[in-house]
Amino acid sequence: MNTLNAKIDRRDGKLVMAHFYVAFIALAVGGLAGLLQTLVRSGKFQLPAGIGYYQILTVHGVVLGLVLTTFFIMGFQIAATSRTSGTLSNLQRKLGWIGFWVMTAGTLMAATMILLNKASVLYTFYAPLQAHFIYYLGLTLVVVGSWLDGAAVLGKYINWRKQNPGQPSPLITFMAVVNTMLWIVATIGVAATVLFQLLPWSLGLVDRVDVLISRTLFWYFGHPLVYFWLLPAYMAWYVVIPKVIGAKIFSDSLARLSFILFLLFSIPVGFHHQLMEPGIDPAWKFLQVVLTFLVVIPSLMTAFSLFATFESFGRSKGATGLFGWFKKLPWGDARFTVPFIGMLSFIPAGAGGLVNASHQLNQVVHNTIWVTGHFHLTLATAVVLTFFGISYWLVPHLTGRVLTKAMNKLAIYQGVLWAIGMTFMSGAMHAAGLLGAPRRSSFSEYGGAAQATEWIPYQIAQAVGGTILFIAIILMLYIFVNLAFFAPKGEEEFPIGEISDHAEKTPMVFENWKLWLGITVLLILFAYTIPFIDMIQNAPIGSKGYKLW
Amino acid sequence: MAKTELNRKTKTEIEDSSSLKGTLASVFLLGFFLIVTWVSVYFLFLNRF
Repeated sequence: MNTLNAKIDRRDGKLVMAHFYVAFIALAVGGLAGLLQTLVRSGKFQLPAGIGYYQILTVHGVVLGLVLTTFFIMGFQIAATSRTSGTLSNLQRKLGWIGFWVMTAGTLMAATMILLNKASVLYTFYAPLQAHFIYYLGLTLVVVGSWLDGAAVLGKYINWRKQNPGQPSPLITFMAVVNTMLWIVATIGVAATVLFQLLPWSLGLVDRVDVLISRTLFWYFGHPLVYFWLLPAYMAWYVVIPKVIGAKIFSDSLARLSFILFLLFSIPVGFHHQLMEPGIDPAWKFLQVVLTFLVVIPSLMTAFSLFATFESFGRSKGATGLFGWFKKLPWGDARFTVPFIGMLSFIPAGAGGLVNASHQLNQVVHNTIWVTGHFHLTLATAVVLTFFGISYWLVPHLTGRVLTKAMNKLAIYQGVLWAIGMTFMSGAMHAAGLLGAPRRSSFSEYGGAAQATEWIPYQIAQAVGGTILFIAIILMLYIFVNLAFFAPKGEEEFPIGEISDHAEKTPMVFENWKLWLGITVLLILFAYTIPFIDMIQNAPIGSKGYKLW
Repeated sequence: MAKTELNRKTKTEIEDSSSLKGTLASVFLLGFFLIVTWVSVYFLFLNRF
């Protein structure tokens, strides 16, 4: 049964666009907060009207790291499923809408508390910093709403499998399903800490909170969260980009295997964010470091597959020599060039990630602004530029408009401007981090300490980069509004690549969820059971809540 | 006959269009960059701790 829709059903399209409106409003608000942060940290600017630095830091982190990403990803995954596995059923679409409104209500609750300065607990909301309970409740609703969105995707996938027994599911639907499962397994951790620890504690039902357990549950969620952001970008890189450039997907099986490996190895690795944390046995940290390094395998598989797609395409166009194919790529097409800049940024991002995760080597960079520089390359460049690249064709596809030549040109400028801004900002963050500059903290001369004086030029470079990035954000918002409301009417393609004729037949083992989820659970139990028993048995007296802002 | 063929100088400039040698070189360069970054910070670590 052929369920491939060349055009997404209008009703599904409305649901996707609803998610995108919230995502791009989040980009505007969070981007402004980011600009203000870099200006404050330059030491040349003070926030007006009693607004606190840590308040805008929380806005920036939550609104971009949680709201923009979750809304965009849920919208994109619904679109990809509807395009390749068929229009959602009325029940699935209704679930999607309920999910959307629950997430939106949760976002508004959390945002209100941050704006009222009742929840300046930074992006990681680490205990013992204590926010107003409505903030935690709001974040819980964002997660619960995303589960409902995920249920719509899973429901459609189950329908497809029933209608097409013995056949591998459409690749991009399969990828959306892996990412949805990853998200559900990961969010159990953050749901547990919020429901059983932070909510009762912020409501005053209990006085104290176990800090180590809450942080461990946060990072059980926090690392796969990174892959939840990254996998939709990989969906575009593996499936969409080959079609955009006129090539074929190098291997369906390789793509599926790399996604399965991400499902297995991105969860039992949260300790690599806690390598300097007391109270966790170094042997268990080491085990999770080893599991973290296994993620290098699917990352390099992805790099290989992309290079191979590009080279095969270039050679089919007559390219010769070792790198002649590079020139044959369609550099004038924003749908390719902007995500390509993202791919490129993932190379230094990955290199930095290896340093972060290398157990004792983490001491060099832990809690320094190097880490902030790192995730501005992974999330805020590789992922976000790919999301922008997706928007350039998906938004007009859904609104029945087209990406004009002028907008395409502007989109390329936007991507290049982003790359320049991020080179300044993230580069300066990496350098200052190696000199010991702390992350999270506001501007300070630290009593005139010589070491702190060294950081200031880098902080000014960050403000320059932040300003360029903010201009790129304004361009992006302009393009989004144009594509949503003003671009000429027409048909914009939702590009879905075809598998190369040379690729092997895809084995059905990839769809065996009992096997993959079974191994996922076993790995999690292996990596976390004994450390958790240890933490509970040797728990110190919990901490009271602090509001330091 | 066979000898004549062996002696004939054939031009082999036409590249195999399915060649992935650029991909091989690219992933090696990528791996090299990862190792150089890691080793640089490792020496910083050795100096400091």
